[in-house]
Order: sequence, then C-alpha cells, then structure tokens
Amino acid sequence: MKPLALLFTLSVGVLLLAASLDLPDWSDPASPASSHVSPYYIQESLNQTSVPNLVSSVLADYRSYDTMFETVVIFCAGITVLTILRRTFRSKDKYILPRPEREDADIILQSAVRLLVPVMQVFALYVIAHGHHSPGGGFQGGVILGASFILLSIAYDLKTVLKRFKENSILFLSAVGVLIYAGIGIICLFLGRNFLAYGAWAKLLGITEQEAHSHGMLGVEIGVAITVMVIMFSLYADLSSSGDLDEGL
Amino acid sequence: MLNIIIVILMLLGLFFFFGTSVGLIHFPDFYSRMHAAGKGDTLSTALILTGLALYHLQDFSLATLLVSLKIMSIVLYIFIASPTATHAIMDAGFESGVKHWSKADQPDKNKGEVK
Repeated sequence: MKPLALLFTLSVGVLLLAASLDLPDWSDPASPASSHVSPYYIQESLNQTSVPNLVSSVLADYRSYDTMFETVVIFCAGITVLTILRRTFRSKDKYILPRPEREDADIILQSAVRLLVPVMQVFALYVIAHGHHSPGGGFQGGVILGASFILLSIAYDLKTVLKRFKENSILFLSAVGVLIYAGIGIICLFLGRNFLAYGAWAKLLGITEQEAHSHGMLGVEIGVAITVMVIMFSLYADLSSSGDLDEGL
Repeated sequence: MLNIIIVILMLLGLFFFFGTSVGLIHFPDFYSRMHAAGKGDTLSTALILTGLALYHLQDFSLATLLVSLKIMSIVLYIFIASPTATHAIMDAGFESGVKHWSKADQPDKNKGEVK
C-alpha cells in the first residue's frame, strides 16, 4: 500500500508543479488578479473612505457584511463552547490538572505579569483605535486584550480574574459587540441608505461622507474588539476549568 | 563611527544567537537547554534590536527618534517577558518531576554497559 501511496503523492506533486508554471509571476502587475479589481481599490479607496490603510478599508467597509458575519461566527463559537462545557453543578469525577503544592504564589511570574498587562491593554486599545491608519484593527486588538486577561489568570488564578470580570458581564459584552456592529449598519438603513453604508452617518454627525466612512469603520472595529476579547477569555476560562469556572490552571 | 558600533552589535547578537541554537541542540537535558534558550535569546535579540535602533538614528529627526524609541521599548518588553517565560516553563518542568542530567546516570563508557 505504501509504494502506491508514494507513487500517487509524487504524481500529484509533479502535476501541481507543472500546473504552477502557468501561474503569473510573483507580483506581476499584468496578472489577472491585479489588473481588474485591485487598481480600483488602490486608486479610489482613499478618496472614498479617507482611510490610508487599504486592508482595513476593504475589510471593514467594502466587505463589511462579510466581516459582520465573521464576528457572528466568533460569537457563535463562544456560545457553543459555553453551552457544551458550562456546568452550574460541581461534577464529582472531574480531572483537575495537578497544581504545584506550595504556599506562596510564583512571585517572579506575578511581578512580570503585573508589569506587562497594563502595557498590553493600552497597546491593544491603540491597535483598535489606530487600525484604519496603520496595521491593526478590531480582531487583532481584541485578541491582545483577551490575551492580557488570560495572562492574568495564568499568573494569578482564574477566580481572581473572574472576581473582576464576572461571567455575566462576559456574556453581556459578547452580545454587545455584535450589536454595536449590526446597530451601526441598521442605523444606515433608517437614514435611507443600504445596510452598513456608513456614508449615511454624515448627516447625523455633521461631517463629510468620507469621514463618516472612516468613523463607521472605527465603530465596527470597536464592536469586533469587544466580542473577540470576551470570547477569547471565556473560551480559556471554560476549557481550563472544564466548565466549572472554579479552579483549573 | 556609528556604523562600526552597529556592525559590532549585530555581529555580537548573531554570535549569541548561534550559541543559543548550538546549546539548544547540544545540551543534554531540559533544564540546561532552557538555560541556553532563555539567556542567549534575550541577549541576542536585545543586541540586534539596539543595533537597528542606532541604525535608524543616523539621520536624526523626530520620526526616526520615535521609531528608535519603539524598537527600544520592544527590547524592554522582551527583556521582561522572555526570561519570565523561560522561568515559568522551567518551573513547570520541575514541578512535574522532569529529571536533571547527571554524570552518575550515564552509561559507563569503560565497561560499556547501561545502568
């Protein structure tokens, strides 16, 4: 069976390599991908949205509908893990990862985390707020924010973090993020435009349409960041304590 | 003059990176490998990034100063985070009972038998 598999793999590999000869060169300006659609975005997106970061303007404005449902996918993933794992009763035969047996907590880890977490959170806010001018955006900033909470609960204790960041507010915020995104789109509908056509906000805020696109992107990125942050932390909390949210890592 | 300092910093960084890689492969057990990774990695990253920050300062203006400051803050946070991470991994290994290397556990080469 093995020689047959090797023969099959090799022949498929040779076919793929042969087919790759027909592909356009790396960064060829005459290739089909960069000769029909891309020039439009490269030339027009700064005038239309007043956002210098092309990737953000395509992600959060031209393809905003797609990004909204990406946020919904993250929301659904978090809710699914919660529904499957979360228990309100304490299970008897639960496997708990062995914790080190000592009285004092790890001072080195806790001091380093205490130094790093505030910087991480401020940097995450910068990534979110500056996402349409430099690399960054809602997903990235939300992940950094979520990671800071996970870092806290690794260095200290899950309970310590959950005391400050209650499960109820996690659930509430995960829905709020999606609602901010969809709400910005729906208000565009009420102002007489298409769903998520941020230009409609211009009348409401008293700015030009281009600036309204920029501000709309900032708004939806804040929504994305809130959902991603709380879902990241809730996934960690549920998986590490196998649904009891009492102890674990 | 500045160029010479930059080149020396970069070469030192590369040298310590090489030492880290050799140590990571060549040391006999978990603890000494983590020791190589934790120390050499931090030092060489700091050296190379300091070289880059100096390189950016060659034509001095507010913009290049900002970039250099950002690079130096990366150095600062790597200097805090990397040894801490090494410590945490090493501590976890110690708590879960990873044995350290010792000469007594090795097969005696003269007799050619494994204890």
